[in-house]
Amino acid sequence: MNRRTFFKLSWGTVGLAALVSAIGVSLAAVVRFLMPSVFYEPPQAFKIGTPGDFAFGAPQFLVEEKIYVFHDRDKGFSVASAVCTHLGCTVAHFQSDEKFHCPCHGSVFAADGSVQHGPAPRALDWFEVTLARDGQLRVDKNKVVPPTYRLMV
Amino acid sequence: MNLLQEIWQSIVRRDSLSTDKGKSELVFLNVWLHIHPAKVKKENMKFRHSFYLGFITFFLFLILITTGIALMCYYRPYPPQAYQDMKDLQFVVFMGPFLRNMHRWAAHGMVVCVFLHMCRVFYTGSYKKPRQFNWVIGVFLLLLTLGLSFTGYLLPWDQLAYWAITVGTNIGSYAPLIGGQVRELLLGGHSVGEAALLRFYVLHVAVLPSLVILLTIVHFWRVRKDGGLSRPVWKLKPERETLVTIGAPAEAAPLTVKASTTKTYGLMEVVTGKPIFETVSAEEEEDTVFSFPYAFVREAVTLMATVTTIMVMSLFLNAPLEELANPAKTPNPAKAPWYFLGLQELVSHSALLGGVVAPALMVLALIAIPYIDRNPSRRPRDRKWVLWLFTIFVVANLVLIVIGTFFRGPGWALVPPWVHVVGGAE
Ligand code: HEM
Ligand code: FES
Repeated sequence: MNRRTFFKLSWGTVGLAALVSAIGVSLAAVVRFLMPSVFYEPPQAFKIGTPGDFAFGAPQFLVEEKIYVFHDRDKGFSVASAVCTHLGCTVAHFQSDEKFHCPCHGSVFAADGSVQHGPAPRALDWFEVTLARDGQLRVDKNKVVPPTYRLMV
Repeated sequence: MNLLQEIWQSIVRRDSLSTDKGKSELVFLNVWLHIHPAKVKKENMKFRHSFYLGFITFFLFLILITTGIALMCYYRPYPPQAYQDMKDLQFVVFMGPFLRNMHRWAAHGMVVCVFLHMCRVFYTGSYKKPRQFNWVIGVFLLLLTLGLSFTGYLLPWDQLAYWAITVGTNIGSYAPLIGGQVRELLLGGHSVGEAALLRFYVLHVAVLPSLVILLTIVHFWRVRKDGGLSRPVWKLKPERETLVTIGAPAEAAPLTVKASTTKTYGLMEVVTGKPIFETVSAEEEEDTVFSFPYAFVREAVTLMATVTTIMVMSLFLNAPLEELANPAKTPNPAKAPWYFLGLQELVSHSALLGGVVAPALMVLALIAIPYIDRNPSRRPRDRKWVLWLFTIFVVANLVLIVIGTFFRGPGWALVPPWVHVVGGAE
């Protein structure tokens, strides 16, 4: 290899490397740009009212939050996600069989949220529910708890 | 009078169309027409070869652009205004329903025609050398067409839209490793909401149409460079044996082609290294006619028939608009747009296998077809196996779509369409 080809090759390599890295960095920047830094979405942890607001027996469905709040006379509070683990449709809780039924592809979840039927890959989530200082119930969707979790008030 | 003539001449700058020179100049000197050759093979234009499906698809796309721009004048891409605007278009805007219907039916039509066009290209073996890569471009156009329909589906922001997109984007999140992030990127959030509507709008009116236009240009250019449409199967001749070598430009390999007794080879053929026509003989030369009027009239009639059909449909069939999107209440059953119901049917058995693996394999297989099928013959009797395989693929798709559309009731239970379910599960 003579001097001339050597320089040609090195400049070529440097140029190509610069081009490739510039494209790479730009692509990464575009992806990061598209990833919102702030989500203007409902908060994941929220208060739902005082224990007295929830009657015993049939669970109460909270529309905005997409959760079912169970209040059992003996065992206390528990909160289930109403979002089907298959593809995100909202499940309906039937009082008749105490199960959750998904309208989209027919998944059925037992009273403890476990999958009984259909394509759902895993059980419904249960969320942590605690008593806040002001006496309200506070649900945190970031904290998934076992279905046996209960809050006694 | 002379001035008028001069003005006309300054615009068209060609001889009278009664002369062959004028007919050629019409094509050569016009930026819009010169994607055509000056002369075309009459037999290749036969309706029963291509059914003009590529053209129909393209014309439907033109309808979509014009009606889409009109709709944009009244549509605001954020909830709940988006839904209000659809209501306005439906009940207040002059000709609003008609334009909305046209846009909707042309969109459905485009999905149908692009699929049929693909089938035609397959059955006539037109993806074979030298057209392999144009088939690949076609597959991307098919995907873009589906993408346009999918993003457009959300825009009315009604129950139908909201839940179809919720289910649809959740399918994507089953893709291993990146699925979740891709969904977040697409939605600009964790669930279908304001950010998602805006992003779908941007994709629907700017990103995807631009890509379709770019790829369509390449698609057409290549059709032209490959010598126009493929020869109709019934016109194929037995392969000739002798080869001749023509021209050997410096450093390039000489061009070897099937011998022809009558043809001389032009410069562009030496440059591209392939004959412009697949096989040319004296008999075929006779089969050639000027694009004006033969090709242009056929295209114009196809355009008019396409527009008329969509207009008539739009007079009598109304695009659906359900209640305002309600994230709390899933309609039962919640169905994706019909062309995705095959997918939804698969998904109802397994989200990962049916929603990610099967469609990904299907797309890869489609792209690979021209490179897997190495049999050079385009004659149906030489391609029995592949014809059967492709037919099974088409029928399987149709069966799944029909099941998903007509045989799935509340809770995705199998219900024949003639059984009426009273008060589905609430
Ligand atoms: C937006 C979508 C599309 C448009 C507007 C379009 C348009 C066209 C047009 C106008 C032609 C000329 C012949 C004809 O009318 O059939 C053509 C030919 C062709 N198309 Fe498409 N097309 C599209 C999608 C596809 C798809 C999905 C495929 C296959 C996967 C495909 C593969 C081909 C091939 C290989 C040819 C050459 C056929 C031949 O030479 O006979 N195209 N296309
Ligand atoms: S979303 Fe619930 S079964 Fe598919």
